[in-house]
Amino acid sequence: MEQLNDAGSSGVITQLGQMLEDALSDNYIFTATTLWHYWEGLVTTVQLVCLALLIGLILAVPLAIMRGSRRRWVKMPVYLYTYVFRGTPLLIQLYLIYYGVVFFDGFDISLGVTSVHVPSIQETWLWDYFRDPFVPALLAFVLNTAAYTTEIFHGAIQSTPKGEMEAARAYGMSRGKMMRRIILPSAFRRALPAYGNEVIFMLHASAICSVVTLLDLTGAARDIYARFYAPFEAFLFVAAIYLCLTFTIIAIFRQLEKRLLAHLKPLS
Amino acid sequence: MTMRSSVAESPSSDALPLEVRNITKSFGTNQVLKGLSLQARKGDVITLIGASGSGKSTFLRCMNLLEQPDGGDIFVHGEQIGFKESRRGREPMDWRQVERMRARLSMVFQGFNLWSHMTLLENVIEAPIHVLGKPKKEAIAHARSLLDRVGLLERADYYPAQMSGGQQQRGAIARALAMEPEVMLFDEPTSALDPELVGDVLKVMRDLAEEGRTMVVVTHEMSFARDVSSQVVYLHQGLVEEAGKPEDVLGNPQSERLKQFLAPKY
Repeated sequence: MEQLNDAGSSGVITQLGQMLEDALSDNYIFTATTLWHYWEGLVTTVQLVCLALLIGLILAVPLAIMRGSRRRWVKMPVYLYTYVFRGTPLLIQLYLIYYGVVFFDGFDISLGVTSVHVPSIQETWLWDYFRDPFVPALLAFVLNTAAYTTEIFHGAIQSTPKGEMEAARAYGMSRGKMMRRIILPSAFRRALPAYGNEVIFMLHASAICSVVTLLDLTGAARDIYARFYAPFEAFLFVAAIYLCLTFTIIAIFRQLEKRLLAHLKPLS
Repeated sequence: MTMRSSVAESPSSDALPLEVRNITKSFGTNQVLKGLSLQARKGDVITLIGASGSGKSTFLRCMNLLEQPDGGDIFVHGEQIGFKESRRGREPMDWRQVERMRARLSMVFQGFNLWSHMTLLENVIEAPIHVLGKPKKEAIAHARSLLDRVGLLERADYYPAQMSGGQQQRGAIARALAMEPEVMLFDEPTSALDPELVGDVLKVMRDLAEEGRTMVVVTHEMSFARDVSSQVVYLHQGLVEEAGKPEDVLGNPQSERLKQFLAPKY
């Protein structure tokens, strides 16, 4: 019985080996040209995701603080913003920004004797940037990730132990100092696992930017699929790249958590 | 920083380190403090005792304005805290004055409240550096000597979660000492500890009392109140029922309630 099994499994391995050999011997898809195409896509994806995450992160910190404000007129706009951007699909946000901005026509407002011209985006310097699909895509991603990150940080800030804030006040810290020295450092650490998920989510969500003619990883895969009509090869390859990127992100966050969340683990 | 200069400017050295007059406080319709006063002279150890709900913790927390009293005056080293009426009720006129005042009254909490993302040493140097503006080197040297004093030098790089309750509380006392406070406020410092850990913390507090620190202590430890304090205040329902030297208040209680409170429970 065991021998049979052995023979069976080694048979499968040889078969798989044969298939791989065949695939490689008449590989006409993964040439230098297509690999270069993938590489360009990879660069675009990494640039877009990293920039969006960085800007989103910077925006999210003050927004999260405002979101936790006691003043209604401070927290309501932020709440509304995160509500809208978390409540609608990223793809729709991308369409709205990419196709939507060009539909604002310039117009004049008359103010008695003079009139003020409100320009359309094509008339301003902004158009130089918005013509390139990278910028609208980046804007959509930034607004989206900032909304999610704001909520993640807001939750972490809210869960700061009350006693620790009391101690900060009792030792003469002002509100700002308490925020900088006690609340944010401990909140960032607590937010780390959830933020790691947001980073991975952003990487995967970036695949949709190819619909606005941006050549990212997915866009490259689609080009290659279209050229060779080889969906499995084209998309499996790109899936493997996404997988590698994801594992890299996971590894980075695991290291960060190990270092920054050491204080939550009792010694044993 | 400004902190230090204000200490130098403070009124004459014979001013009381801490004086509160006629403090009142209500939570909703429930009046928990009905006009409490206290004078701490230099080197005094004042213990506040009383049943739970008598208002002793609230009274202590009013002294450094962690709770806003509805009425009454607070003087720290002769300097009066200014109050104003606002829509939200009575509140300090100048929060910076409050922050300056708090930095001179350091508090030790029932739940330790060490900052969990910092090591013990970082906890101790945090406020001296970032509130008092002490140079980092000096703060670290001072912190190490204080940790040595409370027997925790080898725990300097541990996080609070890695220490026992007793160690955390001794660390919290080191953190309080690092501010070189005028008065130390203790809010039931041993109530959250396992019985076998209480002794270490009380020993540190006894040492502090002996070296002449001014302390206001809310506690249930009658032996500490009896042996260490210069004055015992027994609170009942937001009023001082009896106050005086420990041998009088604890040794010869006048009121029926205090007698009952002190009677062995089992």
